[in-house]
Formats: sequence, C-alpha cells, structure tokens
Amino acid sequence: MTGRRWPALEVDPPWSASQVAELAHEYGLERVDTPPGLVRYLRQLWERRAFVIELATARAYERNQNNVLGQLWAALNPLLLAGSYFLIFGLLLDTSRGVDNYPAFLSVGIFIFSFIAASATTGAKSITSNLSLVRSVRFPRAALPVSVALAEFLLLLPAIGVLLVLLPIVGEPPRWEWLLLPGAMALLFGFCAGLSMICARLVLDVRDATNLIPVAVRLLRYVSGVFFSIAAYAGHGALSLVMQYQPVALFLQLVRSCLLSEVPQDPLLWLWGAVWAVGFLVVGAVVFWRAEGRYGRD
Amino acid sequence: MAATDVTGTGVPVPPGRVPSIVVRDLRVTYKAYGGKRNALGDEAEGRLGRALDRVTRHVGTVTEVPAVRGVSFVAYEGESIGVIGRNGSGKSTLLRAIAGLIPTAGGEVWAGGDIALMGVNAALSSALSGERNIMLGGLAKGLSRKQVNELHDWIVDFAGIGDFVHLPMRTYSSGMAARLRFAISASTAPDILIIDEALSTGDVEFRAKSAARVEEIRQQAGTVFLVSHSTATVRKMCDRAIWIDRGLLRMDGPTDEVCDSYERVMRAIRRKKRLRG
Repeated sequence: MTGRRWPALEVDPPWSASQVAELAHEYGLERVDTPPGLVRYLRQLWERRAFVIELATARAYERNQNNVLGQLWAALNPLLLAGSYFLIFGLLLDTSRGVDNYPAFLSVGIFIFSFIAASATTGAKSITSNLSLVRSVRFPRAALPVSVALAEFLLLLPAIGVLLVLLPIVGEPPRWEWLLLPGAMALLFGFCAGLSMICARLVLDVRDATNLIPVAVRLLRYVSGVFFSIAAYAGHGALSLVMQYQPVALFLQLVRSCLLSEVPQDPLLWLWGAVWAVGFLVVGAVVFWRAEGRYGRD
Repeated sequence: MAATDVTGTGVPVPPGRVPSIVVRDLRVTYKAYGGKRNALGDEAEGRLGRALDRVTRHVGTVTEVPAVRGVSFVAYEGESIGVIGRNGSGKSTLLRAIAGLIPTAGGEVWAGGDIALMGVNAALSSALSGERNIMLGGLAKGLSRKQVNELHDWIVDFAGIGDFVHLPMRTYSSGMAARLRFAISASTAPDILIIDEALSTGDVEFRAKSAARVEEIRQQAGTVFLVSHSTATVRKMCDRAIWIDRGLLRMDGPTDEVCDSYERVMRAIRRKKRLRG
C-alpha cells in the first residue's frame, strides 16, 4: 500500500429516501438508476428503431467485408452450401429418408435453423460484446439483442433468394404458396427476436450459460427435423407431436410448407407459429426489461 | 453557499437554486470474473484449508469489488463541478452510475433532463467506416437520421479526418480515432453533461479546439461534471469541486478550497514515499 491509509469509514446518508423523493417531486426530477415502466420502455425502444436497424445492417455488412468479393459472399456462401447439398444428396447419394426432394428439404432446414441458432448464440453475447457502447451511451438495452436478431435475419434473406432461384432448377416449380413466405418469415423473426432477448437475460443471471447455449443448440439441431422428417421417423405418438410442435421444428416445417410441394399447408402450423412468435416476443421483452438496470456490469 | 432548507423537505437547497441532480447513498459494486478467488484477502486457515483452497481457487472465481461506497450530494443548474481524486478512487465509476450507464448496488440517483457522457472511449466499430460510425453514434444518442446527416460535415471537419471518413476505422491512427469519437460525442449539447478526461486527447491544437467546444457546450448545458486528476483543469473550468477518495466523498465545496487540500494531501503522500524509498 502506497501512501497513508485514510480513515475510510462509510458514512450515513445525510438525508432520508423519503426526503429526497419529496425534493425530486418538487423539482420534477426522475430516477436514473431504475428502468422505466414496461410500456414506456417499449416506447423508448420504438423511438430508437433507426438505431436498431442501423446497428443490424452495419453488423450484417461487417460480416462479409473482410475480403475482395465483399458483400457478394452474402449470396455466394448459401449458394455454395445449398449447391453442395444438391450435388451430394441429389446426385451422388440416395438418402431420401421419407422425403421426395431431400436436397431442397435439407437446404431449407439448414438455412432456417442456422438463423435460429445464430439468434440464440449471438443474442446471448449481445450485451457483453457491446460493453463499451453500453457503458458510454444510454439507450434501451433491448436494442442490442433485437438488432442481433435483425442482423441475422438480413443475412438470411440472400440465402432465401438463392433458394428461390435453385428450387425451380431441382424440380420445385414456383407456386402460389410462395407468396405466404413473407408471413412465415415475419413470425420467424418475431420468435428469434424474443429468443435473443431471453438468451441475453439468461447470460446476465448465469454467466456460465454462454457455454451451455451452444450445447442446447447442437441438441436442437438433431431433434428439430433439420435433416429428416419428424413425422416419418417418430411416428404419430404424443412424443412425436411434442417434437413437431416445439418452436424450432415448427418454424422449419412452416417455411417448408410455403416452399416445398411435398409439405402441405396446414392452418395448425400457422396458428402455432403465431403462438410461438407472440409468446417469445412477450416473454422475451418482459424478462429482458425486468433486468434493464443491471446490464453493463462487467 | 448558504444552504438553507427552503423546500421544507429536509434537504438543504440554497435560495434561488434549482437542483438538477440528487444523489443519495449511491453504491456501485463491480463483479470481477476471472482472477483468483480470495484475491482480496480471506486466506484459508490451516494446512488442509490451504490445500483445499489451492484446488478450488480456479472454480467460481467471482470477486465483488466495492468501487463507490455511499456518496450523497445535490448538484444545481448552472453549476460546473470538478470531480477529483486519485486513479482508481471511483470517480469515473461514480459518474457513469449517475449517467445511468452502469448498474448500481444501492442508493438513488434523480435527474432533471437528459444526461450525456462525453468521452474518448465511446465505443465504435473498427470494422465500419467513419461515416457509418458517425451515423451509429448519433442514432445511439437518440438523434434522428436527418439530424445526424446535418451534423455529419461538422463532425468530420472537427475531427479533421478528411477522406478517411470513407475507410474502416481500423485503418485510423489512434489519434484520429480518438478525435472522431470526441467529435461525435461533442456534436450535441445535453441538459447534464459529464466530461470524463476527454480534454487530454490529441495534439496541442486539437486540445485547444476541444476545450473551446466544451466551453461552448458548458454554456448551453445546465450542469456540467468534469472528471479529472488534473486540478489545473478543474480550477480553470469549475466553480465547485468534489473529492472522491476510495469510493467515498471526502470533500465537497468551492473549487479552490477543495483543490488546495487535495494538493496538500497529494504532496504529503509523495514526500512520504520519497522518504521511505
């Protein structure tokens, strides 16, 4: 210890909480260290929508900026990925697994699942990876997980575009059902934004969850029907129903029902899609908001 | 400053002054992950205890560090307050908590109006161009796209980065990056302004320019806090000073009075160190 140790005793506050509250009321002062009510919080978030969008586009842009072809990779990456699936599973191997057009089935599954997985894992890190921004500017912190989900969504769009071009080539002619796709994507985005907020809150309370979320994602990858049709494998029991209607599997199926002729349109899919989207958004917003005053600690 | 209780609330408010910030018993605790458990003492007793300690030391390494330990004061409109103290005394932490940027562990902060922190460490993305960083920084502060576009030229000009504004920020020299950050945060004037050591950025010319800009903002802003360990800056710019020592408020009063005793104590410490070593 350098220097002299000061008598560093803590002192009692000179005024009571109620005295200060009365003074604050008199001069119209507001609490800074506690979050506003939920409605006001959501309004503040809405007022910062331009920030959320800018942050998302910047982040999506940043991902593909570090090489010569730059933004072309946003389309090239999914093209190469889907292309190799069509090559391997369509031409070289015969693994239909109860599916008529396996390469198309798999490509949709992979793209949609990657979006959900990325929303969860980067959403979990959205506060800690922006700590210096959090510590220098005041804004509703929910802007960060929401913009993470939006950035991943923006990166998904070129992949969907690639799919729409490839599908007719591999025997899935354009159909009227394709027009339902924007609706399915909107529900999917709502779900992912909620998921991202939930993961961000989870990591705040249990820092070690950062290591568990990737494990959960890997597990979901294998039970959500990314590679296979759940109905064809798991039959029609209660377990199969749970597996088919859990949100991740459901959204894969919902998007497939819009794109692939072998998956029929089903009102039940849409109903559950809406339930999961609204449910995750509401739970995510409430859960995230309740800890608003605590983000930004180390 | 005759502090009389004109409000009848028990909190002394001098006649004719309007409180803009009230801080009561504010506490901030850092949770430090990593490092070793028992980093702050608490040595285990006995041979067995120490052996156990050696094994478990690397699991559950969360240390709670109290940075601000119960600070109370009232700031008024039109005041500029210098916050002084040694490195690590908790002055930056205190003001970040007042600005609502870091979580508090207890106490209250009340404010009238918007609070902004001006500093050189406002985070920007190094992968993005200066242009996008200007937009991002402005929108984060709550400006509209149109407002940021109107400020854009002023920011680029003030930072003096010229055509570099189109390049990613990782290509900037550290001076250029710091100047851009300062220019973004200095482009608007809030009701309550907190300046955190931002005046020591860049070369002599930029320092003079930024001091002039801070003075401009100071006249528009209602209340200004200046965090500094240089008493010279505080004496020049502030009419009141608060001395923070080890997370506690050690002195609060007219600038010269507080700065004089601060300097006296610092001199005493240096002398003692010299004698010892």
